[in-house]
Amino acid sequence: MDHFDIQPLARFVTGERASIRRPKEIASFSYDDAHGFHLDERSLRYYYPPTIGADLSKGAATSGALLPHHFLPAVWRHLKPSSFWRHAPGLCPPGFDSFQQLDDTADDHLDSLLKTIIDLESRTGKKCQADLVTWRGMMTKIMATPFDLFNGFEMNATRFQDTIFIEENHAHKLESRHAQHHQVSRAGTASQDLMSYWGYKFETLALIPATWAETSRDYIESREDLVVNNHAQYCSLVRTGIGKSRLVLGGEVDALWDAKPSRADDPINWVELKTAATPLSDRDVLKYERKLLKFWIQSFLLGVPRIIVGFRSKNGILQSLEELETSEIPRLVKQRGKGTWDGNTCIDFTASFLDCVQWYADGIEGLKSTIVGEGVWRIRKREKATVIEVLRIEAS
Amino acid sequence: MGVPALFRWLSRKYPKIISPVIEDQPSNVDGEEVPVDTTKANPNGEEFDNLYLDMNGIVHPCSHPEDRPPPANEEEMMLAVFEYTNRVVNMVRPRKLLLIAVDGVAPRAKMNQQRSRRFRSAQEAKEKDDDKEEFLKMLKSKNGGVLKEDSAAAIQEKTWDSNVITPGTPFMDILAASLRYWCAYKVNTDPAWENMKVIISDATVPGEGEHKIMEFIRSQRSSPEHDPNTHHVIYGLDADLIMLGLATHEPHFRVLREDVFFQESKGRTCRICGQKGHIAEACKGEAKKKDGEFDEKDRALAKKPFIWLHVSILREYLEAELHVPHQPFRFDLERALDDWVFMCFFVGNDFLPHLPSLDIREDGIDTLIAIWRDNIPVMGGYVTKDGHVDLERAQFILDGLAKQEDAIFRRRRQTEERRDANAKRRKIEDQNRENSRNATSGSYDRNGRRKSPDYSPTPNSAGRGKALDPRVAPPELALFKPSRAPLTKEDKAITHDFVVNRGGVSQANQANKSAAAVLKNQLLGKKDGNSGAVVSTLETDVGDVANRPAAQDAVDGVETPASALGKRKAELMEDDETGNSTPATPESATKNADPDQLPPDDVRLWETGYADRYYENKFKVDPKDIAFRNEVARAYTEGLAWVLLYYFQGCPSWTWYYPYHYAPFAADFVELQKMDIKFEKGRIFKPFEQLMGVLPAASNHAIPEVFRSLMSDEDSDIVHFYPTEFPIDLNGKKFAWQGVALLPFIDEKLLLDAMATKYPLLSAEDAARNEMGRDVLIMSDQHPLYEEIAMNFYSKRQGSPKYKLNPKISGGLAGKVEKNDQYVPQSSLISPLNQGGMPDLPADHSISVHYEMPQSSHVHKSMLLRGVKPAPPTLNHEDIEATKRAAAQSGRSFGGA
Ligand SMILES: [Mg+2]
Repeated sequence: MDHFDIQPLARFVTGERASIRRPKEIASFSYDDAHGFHLDERSLRYYYPPTIGADLSKGAATSGALLPHHFLPAVWRHLKPSSFWRHAPGLCPPGFDSFQQLDDTADDHLDSLLKTIIDLESRTGKKCQADLVTWRGMMTKIMATPFDLFNGFEMNATRFQDTIFIEENHAHKLESRHAQHHQVSRAGTASQDLMSYWGYKFETLALIPATWAETSRDYIESREDLVVNNHAQYCSLVRTGIGKSRLVLGGEVDALWDAKPSRADDPINWVELKTAATPLSDRDVLKYERKLLKFWIQSFLLGVPRIIVGFRSKNGILQSLEELETSEIPRLVKQRGKGTWDGNTCIDFTASFLDCVQWYADGIEGLKSTIVGEGVWRIRKREKATVIEVLRIEAS
Repeated sequence: MGVPALFRWLSRKYPKIISPVIEDQPSNVDGEEVPVDTTKANPNGEEFDNLYLDMNGIVHPCSHPEDRPPPANEEEMMLAVFEYTNRVVNMVRPRKLLLIAVDGVAPRAKMNQQRSRRFRSAQEAKEKDDDKEEFLKMLKSKNGGVLKEDSAAAIQEKTWDSNVITPGTPFMDILAASLRYWCAYKVNTDPAWENMKVIISDATVPGEGEHKIMEFIRSQRSSPEHDPNTHHVIYGLDADLIMLGLATHEPHFRVLREDVFFQESKGRTCRICGQKGHIAEACKGEAKKKDGEFDEKDRALAKKPFIWLHVSILREYLEAELHVPHQPFRFDLERALDDWVFMCFFVGNDFLPHLPSLDIREDGIDTLIAIWRDNIPVMGGYVTKDGHVDLERAQFILDGLAKQEDAIFRRRRQTEERRDANAKRRKIEDQNRENSRNATSGSYDRNGRRKSPDYSPTPNSAGRGKALDPRVAPPELALFKPSRAPLTKEDKAITHDFVVNRGGVSQANQANKSAAAVLKNQLLGKKDGNSGAVVSTLETDVGDVANRPAAQDAVDGVETPASALGKRKAELMEDDETGNSTPATPESATKNADPDQLPPDDVRLWETGYADRYYENKFKVDPKDIAFRNEVARAYTEGLAWVLLYYFQGCPSWTWYYPYHYAPFAADFVELQKMDIKFEKGRIFKPFEQLMGVLPAASNHAIPEVFRSLMSDEDSDIVHFYPTEFPIDLNGKKFAWQGVALLPFIDEKLLLDAMATKYPLLSAEDAARNEMGRDVLIMSDQHPLYEEIAMNFYSKRQGSPKYKLNPKISGGLAGKVEKNDQYVPQSSLISPLNQGGMPDLPADHSISVHYEMPQSSHVHKSMLLRGVKPAPPTLNHEDIEATKRAAAQSGRSFGGA
């Protein structure tokens, strides 16, 4: 076991800037409405703005399951809302089962990502070269670390040939989610579940299945009545680079702004959709600024140039939209915000950490041999800790 | 679509939609003219991406300019077109695209109007020629049988027949070739054109110019790469281009036009010799004197200012006006705007006569909007959706209007009577004043201030409206004062006025007849009952008059904006002049236009039973035949549906037309919801078919010879389509040109059958002119797209024959291009003007390909696009509140029905 010190951050602030490579899509896959996997673009969506004033709770408003969790009988609290009502159909209030919520309690590992890479390799006849392959979510956690000491994470890493594969430690994920559900919401605020419903609802309100020209007015205007379904996803695999590391990242992208470019080398105008509470106080503004850190990293990693933020009221009424250029966000935070985080520090920290990961993984300084085998490694940051630990948990 | 007086109405009601165009002038360094560098920032403080030219709005005015003699030949004509176009392009400085759209074959629905205009125009041209001939004869006799050669030359030239500005004529071929050459020339020589794509849609491509432009904009909007913040400018003369602008739902949209109310008296030319400084009645028939060595001073004078009409600001006004408080469904500005445009159709469009109870001068649009607002709660939604009419809701609007119809007619009558009384009183006062001071009035208002164009809102537009009455030309206007002509008493030279009026005229009437007619009378020694003077009101020095507020209204009232250049103006000019010369027929015009002696109005809309009389008189049907009235209303409803689709989706049928000369009453529309309106796309007319469909026999020179006999031979099956004399029904109006030309409708089958017998005789050259053409895309080799296209079409590894443009390279332009066999890469550019007006270029650095707009199988939705960033608001709180207040105080609870 060894560890990587997060602090002092100054060493990333003053050091030489790590180079970055513009992310480029190399492959993609879709999950359909039933979360079935397909090596195609069937779940690609397009952005068209939702109507201001829409109620994000619609379709969930009558749902007891979306009340703060502590209102539920204790025996049900560990269950996800959908499974709750599946177990107690008689109690199901009207309108609730309209939310087709993805059950992600099973561990999917890197399956879809790997299937897509295998397909890519067989199509091109070339090996997909990378130092690191993972979901975008893992990289986001790592990259946000310098400015998010509170939260923790746990990942598993294995090495195959020259590539390290990282996935989330699924057990830890379920545990922390469970813990979150046990947190009592502050009076007058919505539950975690309701807020995540709002997020999905906002996506339903903001997406169309084809370009604007090819989508009917009826569809666009009926989006408020559509059943929210978060099974369908379009995932993009990108090749990118931070510092000396070459990365292949997979992650869901919400929508296209225009259309896929006809020249493969042109960047894709992806859109990331986010919701946030309309900031009313200085404290809210600060909270939003911290939120922007995650928004920025997520979009930065996949090369999503544009983020649409749907601002909502405390009770989930969509009040306004803000269009953010991803590349502008760090500057925005510095110049107009309180400067609670610094984008370059995130990049340089990550570059350094990855090299460090490589350093352990490659066994330079004597550790290379430890990871050469079939072992599983744990990358962990505990809540409030100032180090990322990297330890071998399994020999083969 | 021309809606006379619409522009004035809009600019009064929504004053802030207009602002002046700031135009850089060429500088003068050591006597050398340095042209404006249009690569520099636009002096209007905003950059524009796309400029669309509704080209007939340039060609028409260039064919008979009001500020200089008409071009002597087609080459001069083309040079004038280039000069004017260049000026417009320099004003806008489009950074991405210039689209030049010339009217092609129009839908059948438009043909009736075109036909009426062209028949009148031919009549007018003939009368002008008669005038000239008559005048020459007189000049000659006064000079002892001798005529100075240059005088004769100046006068004798035949009036150019503007009817050749119709698709399929050799003239349009020359125009197309000239435009292609000129654009290539500009692309080669003007740095501001290097990064611009130029699309030319000439007359061989079917469709009216402005609608081809609309189709292009819709096609680009359907491309996902279209930039929703594209700044568009459309140049044209119709005020309703602003409605087309609204209909695109592109908020960054401006209409550019000449300032029709700006007028300099010297700007007007004599219609006999085409020179400045005097009017027809004072014409001496002398050769033109050059102003400056090359007449350049004259040209400098010609520059009339331009104005912007801001669609974005109109959107702001309408957002305030069309929002009904507590409406039971979500307010959607885009949908509300479409409804507003639809309401405007009732008041006037090119395809349907307007409803008798709706007149723009009586604020007919406001009447409808008030009804619309009243009915929003009961309708439960908007009347139109993406170009489709909800007939059940339309019925609510018409029912609302029907309730007011009787009252509107009665009110109109009262207003007329009051006006007539006032006019009479003013006339007497004027005469008295005239006698007492032998007035020499200039272009000063009553306070002695020179008036500049006034776009300020009028606090009481109803009050101002009085002067707008079309039936009463205010005496000021009609009075032709010799003191205003540059003719002095010492000047003994013979003038037209002298000849015509025997020199002793101090007053004119509003005679509804031509100068020629009066001349004849005079020569025959007949005494005109009214007075000795001849004045075609509109030939009076309008420019002078236009600076006076009352007269300005009057000019507008008679639908002749003093300087409304171009197509509309051209057509209005035709109208007014025709109006003064249209042969009176028993049921129409009267020779004497004195308000007291109008022709008997047999319909008398203000008296009960008017509907019976209307249908009996106009339609010649039994007054008891109510079913017929409903049938007319259904045809009219179809027409409304057609027009709406035409505006919002493109031509729904090329063959549909409204088969009556008159509109029904609102009360005749019943059970519209039971109608099922469907349109057949139909076959597009070929250019020669359209020519035969709209031209009178007098313009047969524009038609291939083989067809001409069909228009004139007694045994031709279709000779009855081409009457040389046709009745004009004044239809309650005062001037013949305001009336309805009762021309027979063309029977398509009969026409085509007759033409079929002649087609085999057509020469190959003529036959080529009858074919449908294609849009052309021209750009410089400096444009990134050049290489892309050249590689695809002209390299060793040639790509597909149709090449899909990549908007990332084309600067947003979507569509396909195809090789143009007329274009030879790396050759020289040859000027089609063979008299040397424009040079050849040894090496052509432009490329030309065929262009095809992207086709969408989906309806175009009246929505804003994602990512659109509205311009900062122009209206202040006060403007918005005033607009809201005015809207709220209309309708049911405020005196409406
Ligand atoms: Mg999202």
